[in-house]
Amino acid sequence: MSTVIDVQHLTKQFGSFTAVDDLSFTVQDRDVYGFLGQNGAGKSTSLRMLLTLIQPTAGDIHVFGYSIHTHKKDILRQIGAVIEKPDVYKYLSAYDNLQLFAKLCGINPSHKQLMDQLELVGLAERAKDIVKTYSQGMKQRLGIAIALIHQPQLVILDEPTNGLDPQGIADIRNLILRLSREMGKTVVVSSHLLSEIEQMATQVLIIDRGKKKVEGKSVDLFDPAQTIVKVEVNDYTSAIQKMSESNWATHLTTDGSHSLLFSLHRDQLPQLYKDLAALDISVISFQPRHSLEDYFLKITSGKPHVQAYTN
Amino acid sequence: MYRLIQIELFKIFKRPRTYIAFAAITALIGIIQVGLKIDGAEYASFVMADFNSSFSVDGNILNGYFVCYVILQLLLVHVPLLIALIAADMVSGEANMGTLRLLLTKPISRTEFILAKFIAAAIYTLLLLIWMAFLALFVSMWVFGTDDMFIMKSSYAVVIREDDIFWRYTGAFAFAALAMITVASLGFFLSIFAENSIGPIVATMSVIVVCTILSTMNIPLFNTIKPYLFTTHMIGWKEFFDLQVNDANEAIQGSIQNIDKLIRSVAVLSIHVALFLFGSWFIFRKKDILS
Repeated sequence: MSTVIDVQHLTKQFGSFTAVDDLSFTVQDRDVYGFLGQNGAGKSTSLRMLLTLIQPTAGDIHVFGYSIHTHKKDILRQIGAVIEKPDVYKYLSAYDNLQLFAKLCGINPSHKQLMDQLELVGLAERAKDIVKTYSQGMKQRLGIAIALIHQPQLVILDEPTNGLDPQGIADIRNLILRLSREMGKTVVVSSHLLSEIEQMATQVLIIDRGKKKVEGKSVDLFDPAQTIVKVEVNDYTSAIQKMSESNWATHLTTDGSHSLLFSLHRDQLPQLYKDLAALDISVISFQPRHSLEDYFLKITSGKPHVQAYTN
Repeated sequence: MYRLIQIELFKIFKRPRTYIAFAAITALIGIIQVGLKIDGAEYASFVMADFNSSFSVDGNILNGYFVCYVILQLLLVHVPLLIALIAADMVSGEANMGTLRLLLTKPISRTEFILAKFIAAAIYTLLLLIWMAFLALFVSMWVFGTDDMFIMKSSYAVVIREDDIFWRYTGAFAFAALAMITVASLGFFLSIFAENSIGPIVATMSVIVVCTILSTMNIPLFNTIKPYLFTTHMIGWKEFFDLQVNDANEAIQGSIQNIDKLIRSVAVLSIHVALFLFGSWFIFRKKDILS
């Protein structure tokens, strides 16, 4: 597999604020590369630098082996992008918008090609309606159609599921998977939604406060077998004492909510259930949950933007 | 580049806002023409009041050429606002809609982008002036007929023969187009800095109002900067309607009294256009797109 994007020591400063700090990563051909980070982590700034919308303070960006500084037009000809909201001309129809942006890419698609593209994103029936009448999800899909109209090899999508309902999110996810698996495109997708990245990405980069935290294959980073179980018990003091003296002491943590937390492998769940019963601990609820969120919070700063509500 | 300009013009003429200017000009000229058609004789006798005792004036004073001159005098002060509505929205409007970032992820250079947008704004300005010329001159000629043109200046009157007028109007409208392109380039320059349209439109009008006041105030401090202000030269189209006189104090048909002043005005306006365009390009080529 060849390298599609090679970013080295990328830095962007806005005055004294460092939005992206010495960031390096590579994206291989046909990857779905997940860019994961909390809001304000530097994801959009990094992607904007890839697309020449923002000038880096320092660092090099090579796409398809060419420097973005010297081969800007050649590189952009092979990239389709949706950055944040899919804003298009609201007073034009989807068809006119698509045609306009196709012409900007130097192509003059036929009516059939335009309609096929709109069909791909499920907008063919509303092709002639002005965009002002579209829902957020429809605008998002139109944005993706515009990004794909010139058949780019690399697709960059910044928070493509923002503001979408569950069906809209599923549509975008399926589209991204289709782009990668059926059409052989390389996709860079950013999100702050862990579950989204987990379901789509083959490679993941976690960024926090402009710095790279982790980069690797998503199967390695997000082991689906690793689980955290939250056990709500009747008598918390007694339960924690009994479990601290058992073989489960090394798996046990607490979160201050008077529930027991066990970090363990999925295969160990039946045994835990049996042992709780054997130790005569009255269980009110037993909630296994994926460790991804905890992992992400551990990797990033983990501080909530707003204090947790407790009653 | 040609394709980019086409796209920009397509966008301009698909927006309802674009037609406000055309509608406003049509309405204003129509109102003036109707007013002069109904009460024109009274207006003409008022204009001629000082002359009627000394001169006998024959013919159709209130002809299409005269009406067009009146319209130009009244309208060219207000047209900059209509120009600013589009020109000051060219870049800021895209930033406001969020389409700027989408446009700049396409394989076009920022230089091409700026040039295409500026040329589109200039074409819009030209079309507006052509529409104005059509209504103010040709419709007036049709409604009011043609004859020699009689214009009152502050201390003298000018009579231009009918066969000597048309080229003057061609020149005057061409000059007015340059003056309006100067306004467009100012609005365009200011639109580079903003992410909404209102700011640059208001700023453009404010700059014009302030500079116009400075151009008209006769204070020594301002007199030194007056020659360099574009507003001082925006009314230069009137030079086309001032004739040279010979030793016998007879008007020389086909002449312009102060051609040097006209050329200087063209030069100052052109330099302003070039500076605003260069400034737009210089700032925009490295600008971070954060909208």
